[in-house]
This record gives sequence, C-alpha cells and structure tokens, in this order.
Amino acid sequence: MDDLQFRRQAYGDPNNQSDDFLAHLAENEDDAKFVKDLKAFDQKLTQALKIDVPEDLADKLLLRQQLNLHQQTKKRGRYMMAMAASVAFVVGVSFSMLRFTPVNLSENSLAHVHHETKALIMEQDIGFNDVNFKLASIKGLSDSKFIKQPGRVFYTAYCDFQGVKSLHLVMADELGNKVTLFIVPAENRVVLEEAFADNQYKGQSFQTADAYMVLVGEPASDLDFVKKEVENTFI
Amino acid sequence: MFGTLRKKKADVAVLSDMVTKQRRYDSLVRALHTDIFRYAFWLSGDKHVAEDITQETFLRAWRSLDSLKDDKAAKAWLITILRRENARRFERKQFDYSDVEQDLLEDVYSSSNEDETEQYWLRRQIGKLDIEYREPLLLQLIGGFSGDEIADMLELNRNTVMTRLFRARNQLKEALDTPEVRGQSNG
Repeated sequence: MDDLQFRRQAYGDPNNQSDDFLAHLAENEDDAKFVKDLKAFDQKLTQALKIDVPEDLADKLLLRQQLNLHQQTKKRGRYMMAMAASVAFVVGVSFSMLRFTPVNLSENSLAHVHHETKALIMEQDIGFNDVNFKLASIKGLSDSKFIKQPGRVFYTAYCDFQGVKSLHLVMADELGNKVTLFIVPAENRVVLEEAFADNQYKGQSFQTADAYMVLVGEPASDLDFVKKEVENTFI
Repeated sequence: MFGTLRKKKADVAVLSDMVTKQRRYDSLVRALHTDIFRYAFWLSGDKHVAEDITQETFLRAWRSLDSLKDDKAAKAWLITILRRENARRFERKQFDYSDVEQDLLEDVYSSSNEDETEQYWLRRQIGKLDIEYREPLLLQLIGGFSGDEIADMLELNRNTVMTRLFRARNQLKEALDTPEVRGQSNG
C-alpha cells in the first residue's frame, strides 16, 4: 500500500478495518500515530455534531402522528357513511324498480320453460297433497288448493316471476304430452295474454279466483284438456 | 348494516395491527429522532427548519411504515425520506444559501464555557463545508454508515464517496492546523 493510497483510506475512514490497512498500520509506526490522531479528531467531530435536541421532540413527533391518525379515522368514517348511504340508495332504487315493473306472464313462462329443461325430464309422481303443501307457503295462494289429483304431476318447484313467488308444475295431457303449469298469485302488475307461442312452445293462460294459471306445452299437446283438469280440481 | 357486520369480523385483527404498528412507530421515534434531527440540522443549518423536516419525515414514515420490512434498515430508510423532504423544501421556496451559516451562528452556540470554544469553532467549520463534502461525513459520523452504504444512499459510486470523505476531513484538519484562520473566525 503506497502512501497516497494509505492517506486516502485513513482520511476516508480512520476506523477502516480492512486487512491491508491494519497490516500497514502494524508496519508503520508514524502512520499508526497519524491514524490515532485522526481517530481523536473524529471523536471531536462526532461530539461537535451532537447538537442539543429539543427535549420534547419525541413527544411532539408522537403527538403529531396521533393527531394525523385521528383525522384519518374521522375521514374514513365519513367515507364509510357515504359508501353505506349510496349502497342503500342503489338497493332502494333497484328494489322499487323490480317491484313496480309490469310482469309479462307469457314471456316469462316461455323463458322459464326454455331455461328449466330438466323439469321436463323429471319422471316423479307427486301427490296433490304435496302440491297443496307448496301452495300454502306462497303468499296470496295460501287459501288455494287442489281438491283432488289433477292427473299425474311429474315435477314441482317454486319459481320466481320477477319477484313474484310462484309454483311450477309439470303435468300431462290425455295422450301423455308434458305440459308445464305455472300458478302465479294474482298481482296488479301482471300482464296476461290468453294465448301465446314461440317457435318451440305454445301457451295459454287464464284466471281463477286468486291466481293466474299459465299453461305451456309443445304444439301437439292438448292444453285445453289440462285447463279443464285444473279448473275441475283447483279452488 | 354492512358497517357493523364488517366491523365485527375485522375489528379485532385491525386493532391488533394498529397496536403493533403504533408500538413499532413509537420505538422508531424514540430510538432515532435524535439522529434524524441532528442530520436535519446539519443539512439545513437551522434548528426550526430541522424540526419541521423531522416532523415531516416521521409523519411520512408513519404513513408508509408498512413498506419498511427490515427494522435494521430503519435509519437508512428515514434518512432517505429526510433527504427527499429536504429537497422538497427547496422546491417549495427558493432558499437563500447564504443564510445557512448565519443561522448556524445564531442558533447553536451561545456557550461561554472554555471547553466548548473549540467545539464552537469546529461546528462553524463543519457548517462551512460544502454540502457535497458535509453530507457523506454526516452519514459516516451521525449515521454510522459504511462507505458502500453511503454510496447507495447518495447514489454515488464508492470511490467518489471516499474522495469526498477524504476532502471533508482534510479541509477540517487544515482549518484546525492553521491558527490564523482560527483566530480570524474567532475574532
């Protein structure tokens, strides 16, 4: 290690612990003394840098942070309130939209039949008492019931006509063609069409004392037969 | 209604998180505010400015405390924030450089003690150092950082840092060894 390099290292960091540097110090007494002086000088410098710190600085720092935190929480509280309010608003608006839009029974019925294809595959044999049990839990239909078995019932389930809980039955006509029957409790916003059809199914609907009946079946099926059956058994 | 549901589930976890964070911050403040304040002072040359910068630094540190993964790196992290805060100060308003030494004169030394005369003088000399020489020296002596760490923090290469440290000590030592200058500055 030459002298220039040594001085550079010594001035750069008198506490240098590298092997080169320490070896150099061990060999050169004068340089060792020089480094010792530099270390003493560093001590002085370090002392000089230690200016007084305001006594309450740490407390001030903590206080400032606490105040800041408090403000943030307050702001977040307001934000949460605003969020809750707007969510409530949206829920309210969409709920009332849902409740007051007219329900087109025929369109909905066709959609249901297309959608629930599995209903037409079911081969259960459900007694009219089970159907009555289901009817009883529908609001607006709790007094209605079948007084006897309306032919074979293959399938029954609740379904939803835009917010109106209804009953979905699969029955059969004279020749065994499956016919879907929807029993919908009477509601002001329901729009009824007596006969309707699309390219796969035809349908008709009629009204009883407190329910709308919608029948949907394939074009070959005899809807009138089922209609009579229902009229005779449902009160 | 959503509020209470959400609160019940998350409250306990959030609360303990907050407590941990608060404790961590408390110890950070207590352990490092002295060094940070001193660093800020030697950077700005003014006690009030130093206090402001220290406040800003610790507030910023609180906000991003989660990003500090390794507590050993806390000091370097805080100094990085502090240097950014200090630079921001220059963006905010044009700072008059010639004020630095004036402030230094007024603020720090009113001691009459004989022992402290040398310290008074030394402080003035440190204050007079160019910032580019002063800052590595501060990092070495106040921060206790190695040459490599200083190079990282100042985004310089290590040789430049060592050269600057060399010049800083050299200048201070020369000033110390030149009695006329010393006499002048005292007189």
